[in-house]
Amino acid sequence: MSKQKLLFIVFFLSYVAIIVKLIFLQIINPISSDANYLKTSRIVPERGKIYDKNGEPMAVNKSSYLFYIEPKKIKDTKEFVKRVDAVLQMGEASLEAKVDSNKNWIAVKDGLDRTQKQSLQDLGLNGLGFEDRFQRSYPESSLSAHLLGFVGKDSQGENLGYFGIEGYYNKDLVGLPGILKSDRDLLGRPILIGTQQKLDSENGRDLFLTIDKPVQEIIKTRLRKGLEKYKAKEGCILLVNPQTLEVLALSCLPDFDVEHYYNFSEEFFKNPAISNLYEPGSTFKPLILAAALEENSVRPADFYDEKGPVQIGEYTIKTWDDKYEGRISLTRILEKSSNVGMVHVGQQLGQKKIFAYLKKYGFDRPTGIDLQGESYGNLKPETAWYPIDFATVSFGQGIAITPIQMIRAFAVLVNGGKMFKPYIVQKIGSGEDEKNISSKLEKQVISAKTSETIKKMLLSAVENGEIRWAKPKGYQIAGKTGTAQIPIKGHYDPTKTVASFIGFAPVSNPKFLALVILREPESSPWGSETAAPLFFDVAKELLVYYNIAPE
Amino acid sequence: MKHLTKLSIWAVFLILVAVNIYVFLHSISLSDRINHFEKGIKNLHQENLTLENKIFEVNSLQYATSMAAQLDFTQKAQPVYLENLKYARSQ
Repeated sequence: MSKQKLLFIVFFLSYVAIIVKLIFLQIINPISSDANYLKTSRIVPERGKIYDKNGEPMAVNKSSYLFYIEPKKIKDTKEFVKRVDAVLQMGEASLEAKVDSNKNWIAVKDGLDRTQKQSLQDLGLNGLGFEDRFQRSYPESSLSAHLLGFVGKDSQGENLGYFGIEGYYNKDLVGLPGILKSDRDLLGRPILIGTQQKLDSENGRDLFLTIDKPVQEIIKTRLRKGLEKYKAKEGCILLVNPQTLEVLALSCLPDFDVEHYYNFSEEFFKNPAISNLYEPGSTFKPLILAAALEENSVRPADFYDEKGPVQIGEYTIKTWDDKYEGRISLTRILEKSSNVGMVHVGQQLGQKKIFAYLKKYGFDRPTGIDLQGESYGNLKPETAWYPIDFATVSFGQGIAITPIQMIRAFAVLVNGGKMFKPYIVQKIGSGEDEKNISSKLEKQVISAKTSETIKKMLLSAVENGEIRWAKPKGYQIAGKTGTAQIPIKGHYDPTKTVASFIGFAPVSNPKFLALVILREPESSPWGSETAAPLFFDVAKELLVYYNIAPE
Repeated sequence: MKHLTKLSIWAVFLILVAVNIYVFLHSISLSDRINHFEKGIKNLHQENLTLENKIFEVNSLQYATSMAAQLDFTQKAQPVYLENLKYARSQ
């Protein structure tokens, strides 16, 4: 055989070998060959950020890492566990329990920061890796815990918003993940003639709230001091613009740490301002009085003869101090917060109209505020109402509502009779994708004239009320106190009250409407001695912040 | 003529080999650069996030409050307002 023939045969056999191998790789077992080179990775989208109305960040993202192990690549499990635990401090036993040598991939710990990642990489161990993640970060810590909610995990281990804004707008915030398919060599470099496909991720939409961060800080600080001063169990302050019903600030205490939410039980996550029902007490009186004025059942100049307690069936209704002034005006009924006076107003209005107005004020339905976890009010069907129910509801007992329902209804009295839907997000997204959300008028409940009348009465209730509060001088501030006993097992506990105050300023053109609620204050059970002073403390700071000149 | 053809074939063959080697080396170099930039972009993004978070932190009300406490900008500097406005107006 000549040398040329031999060379030909060698080349021929080599080509045949190559062709056979190619057939094996491309036709017989294509997946296993791809798996060696084709790396498919998920591009994690960045969760949308949350800003206040001035563009100041309230919830942003920071880099974090998911630490995983590949047990089949680990040579000495005990040594591996010991060295990894020295960095993570998880406990050797729990770490060792995770290392299942039958599995290819096991997630060990999420939320590692760069320093921890670097420390683990410095160990130089085989069989460990990291996945890039994002973790929520809150520049103001728990300033708005109930408002924002938190980001936890779903059953698949994916981020999911719970409660508040994070829960309600989860679909907008979460974004869409992308995919990267890329052939890589042994050193992880892309093979240019191989597969290179990239589907970009779409980051979540940013949200811009109606909340004003400095105002939020003011009310939270004041509420914390108020709870300490009046020794109350819980407290809430809601602040809205009554002309639009945009929520300017909302804080309830006690709340939770948004970054370490897992250390708190579920009861702390519920936002009492939208989830808890309470009896509003005397803060409800202006709503019934306005309805009676609107229906001409009573007139502003009317008088009532406050002779003594009123008997409704087997029940006796008294004033809060059991003192009776004789002939008093409607304004005086509000000033001295006369329960018997309000029973008279309710009787003038009539049972059918009382129930109709409760519906008009929206106590039979949720407000639809864009926060997760809103409760439905507990308005009984009309057939289940007894005469005593109509009498007590006229001074705010026997009806359970949420604070957000209360402030929505009260805003009707303040803004000329219009009912708006409360909202907390004013803009979604940014740039071309931007969507602005404005106030939504639902209906006209009372006339502008009735609104003006009731505002004057509420101003008088503050000016001539039973207690002289430390009001900011030169300003007209109107409002109403409320003290409601708490129903426990079918009867009212006289020692436990919900003290509240709802007020607005300036009266001529209200810039803010605030509802202050303190549950079970120990220093005094009365709203006039607890919630009202707290309201005026807040109002003083807000008048300065909003640069409102004295009238 | 036959010699010239042979020479041309060899020349073309050598050129093709050279081009192949160049393309191979160039693709490796490009892959390296892509890899380098990918890592660079990732690092930049992470550093951006870290810096952004630091800016947010120092811009926060919490930080301002802690600084105010450190600088003793608290009780002594608390403004007296509203109740005393009439004095300001009368001057």
